[in-house]
Amino acid sequence: MTNSMSNVEYLKGVIGQTYKVLETDVIDQYQVSFVVKQDDVLQVLVTLKNAGWIQMSYLSAIDWPDENKFEMVYILMNWERPVHVQVRTKIDRNDPVMPSIITIYPGAKYYERECHEFFGVKFPGNPDYEKQLILELWDDMPPLRKDFDPQAYSDRKFTKREYSEDYKVLSEEPSKKAKRETRKERAESLKGGPKS
Amino acid sequence: MKQMKLFLGPQHPGMHGNASVHLYVDGDIIKRSFLLPGMLHRGFEKGMERHSWVNNISLIPRVCVVEPDINEMAFAMGTEKLLGIVVPERAHWIRMIILELARLSIHLMAYGGLGGPTGNYTLMYHAHADRNSILDIFEQITGHRVYHQYIVTGGVRKDLPKGIEKDIHTFIDSLESRYEEYRDLGIENPSIVARIKDTIMLPESVVWELGVTGIGMRSAVGKPYDIRKVMPYARYDQVDFEVPTSDYSDARARIDCKLKEVIQSISIIRQCIEKMPLGPVRVPLGRGQSMRWTVPKGYVYSPVESSRGEFGYYMVSNGGTHPWRIGVRGASYPQGLLGIEKYMPGTRLDDAALWVDTMGVCSPEIDR
Repeated sequence: MTNSMSNVEYLKGVIGQTYKVLETDVIDQYQVSFVVKQDDVLQVLVTLKNAGWIQMSYLSAIDWPDENKFEMVYILMNWERPVHVQVRTKIDRNDPVMPSIITIYPGAKYYERECHEFFGVKFPGNPDYEKQLILELWDDMPPLRKDFDPQAYSDRKFTKREYSEDYKVLSEEPSKKAKRETRKERAESLKGGPKS
Repeated sequence: MKQMKLFLGPQHPGMHGNASVHLYVDGDIIKRSFLLPGMLHRGFEKGMERHSWVNNISLIPRVCVVEPDINEMAFAMGTEKLLGIVVPERAHWIRMIILELARLSIHLMAYGGLGGPTGNYTLMYHAHADRNSILDIFEQITGHRVYHQYIVTGGVRKDLPKGIEKDIHTFIDSLESRYEEYRDLGIENPSIVARIKDTIMLPESVVWELGVTGIGMRSAVGKPYDIRKVMPYARYDQVDFEVPTSDYSDARARIDCKLKEVIQSISIIRQCIEKMPLGPVRVPLGRGQSMRWTVPKGYVYSPVESSRGEFGYYMVSNGGTHPWRIGVRGASYPQGLLGIEKYMPGTRLDDAALWVDTMGVCSPEIDR
């Protein structure tokens, strides 16, 4: 194996010379992330594939509702120069379209299908990205978007069950009761995702 | 002749987990096939966003049912990378013991699973009996048999109990002594060899096309492409082990590599017990407010070598108490979905279960 730090330098050279990289982050000696423009992504992936990053490990999206963007992420791996590369780009959230990469990495076919199912990103070029994969008969917005609330969905979809409370604390010291209440409050505040 | 539609799974002895393979057969040759996932979808990725970082520790082992420890390791390594925590030395070695015991357990289960589609149930009983001994060891170390929640951010939950080294030695010695017996029962057994030799090929071009990792890739490419070797985590760079490879990529070669990995794992566990220093096993995450610890902003991908290949968590934090996004890269995603669609047609119907078995398809990590 070649020296690991020189691999990172090599990778930076491959990408940085040809394309405008908006942000480079060396996470450790085995991982680098690049943020590039949406139009450059396919070219960057082709360049990386020719430079030896022939395995696509992961493809997904991240939702940033405050910026009104989706962030696409591609993770590539080169086993000869062991560095994982994250290639990220931000795309419009209202009309999310990202060209398919199955001509470069055929293994991306099902990842793109899943990404469409969970985020609603369209992948023109992939023949069956619109088919359902995991969620059978799904009738709501793509569920991994941040504005999808699973609690509300399940309240709407399923009838509520009644639970009987069959115990009662008869006499309790006020300090103990206050403690119990705060504990309960704290536990409740952690439920159901981050509070802004 | 008219094509007929058949289902392999979700209720089938040769299927691992609740996934279904739809097969269109002509005679007994598969003409078209695809996997129907979704029966095991539990919404983990959304669930993780809705639980705080510390609560997730009890959620993540459930992602892959038979091999939970790799999830804990990937999660712990990812958060440690974001937080910049340095794990105590002893914790690294304990983690390696746990991970290698888990590898032994899953390899035994997968090798025993070979008995199902080939009709040799003796193999399965033997393998599961030995796996049970590993679960006993896990129970002693962690208190749980299957979902351990033992490898946590900052180290491991508690130190090894006294005298556990003796139990581990007893077990791995007995497993090693039975290694030849296992070979005779499985891949040297003529009735099984007839089913797995020269069939269910996985050539190198297919490996790179699909993105298959792990034993499938190593047996096709013939190079030691193992995360433990090329980008060592924990203390895998300080132990001496080989990565078994092969230059012929049929089903038998893959199972052969799997069995050779068992011997390597046994050797790693021995070295870990020998080299393990004394000391603390965990660094505390925060003062008293561990339920509210926050993780700094960042994007990190933390890969781990599972028994089926590269298994990774893609973690995004926005600096809060909850993860912003966690994506799970299941090791058998490529061969399970695209592989079944493109490369299962052409095999015989009775080899379909063997195909799924020897490619290492694990439906819980596909559905998540």
